[in-house]
Amino acid sequence: MNHFDHRLVEGDLARLRPARPPEQLLERLEAARCQVAKRQPAAPERAAWRLDWLPLFRWLAPATAVVIAAVALAIWRPAPLQSAPAIRADDVEIDRQLLNSYDAVATLPGGEPVRFRCREWMDAVTFRDTAGGVVIQQREPRFEVVAVRFETY
Amino acid sequence: MAEHAPSLLLFARQQSRTEADAQDLVQDAIVECWQRQRDGEPPPRPLVFATIRRRAIDLARTLDRRAQRELVAGEEVLECWFDPGVEDRERARIVQSAMNQLPEIYREVITLKLWGDLTFGEIAETLAIPANTAASRYRYGLAELRELTREVAA
Repeated sequence: MNHFDHRLVEGDLARLRPARPPEQLLERLEAARCQVAKRQPAAPERAAWRLDWLPLFRWLAPATAVVIAAVALAIWRPAPLQSAPAIRADDVEIDRQLLNSYDAVATLPGGEPVRFRCREWMDAVTFRDTAGGVVIQQREPRFEVVAVRFETY
Repeated sequence: MAEHAPSLLLFARQQSRTEADAQDLVQDAIVECWQRQRDGEPPPRPLVFATIRRRAIDLARTLDRRAQRELVAGEEVLECWFDPGVEDRERARIVQSAMNQLPEIYREVITLKLWGDLTFGEIAETLAIPANTAASRYRYGLAELRELTREVAA
């Protein structure tokens, strides 16, 4: 039997419709259905309501958690540290004071003599904020060594 | 209820020996399925068909075979399965006669597909068989039914 024949037989059979049941059977079925409906607890209505709303709550719960977390973060965010008012130095003085200067002679491993010029400095830097009445002074020693060739020297 | 009752009764008639049994099967199956439904919605049709079939098998097991034969022999007048117009009355008689001779495995699949309006998936669920088996039984059943109708009409 090919596909075309199938369709023909199907169409031929489908034209027939099942006979309508006797009225007394329909009445029995209706009566039975009513009895079952009466015996059904009232829970289904509540269950249906719950089922309809359940998907919404499913999304609402995590969304609520996110909102609460965001609000808590916004409220409880630690306040920025109160920084001291910025100092604006309107005057900077740099004073380099030579404390000592001497030469030292040494010999390289190859036997060649070399001379070092050594200087000891004291650097003093002073910042002044006239508006704020702030003066910051920093003193730092500095040691300077410069190798000098004998010929140059 | 009234919409699906004809196909349910047709299926029950094919599964039972008497008209009274068929009607009882339909009623009992519908009540059972309604009771199972917790949401108050009508039960799915595959479930009702499957319940009719299971109850018909149970009924056949409980009845004595001899009593069954006597009962069938005494019931000469068969209920008309189909609701034909005047011009199709003879055709309906031929198809019903051919369906009676069709092996049950084909008859139930054809009935569920053509007049129960079930898909092969739903038929598979109803009869507890694979969907491919349902489809192949349907094709073989249609072929055999065509031959049987020709023989009956001849």
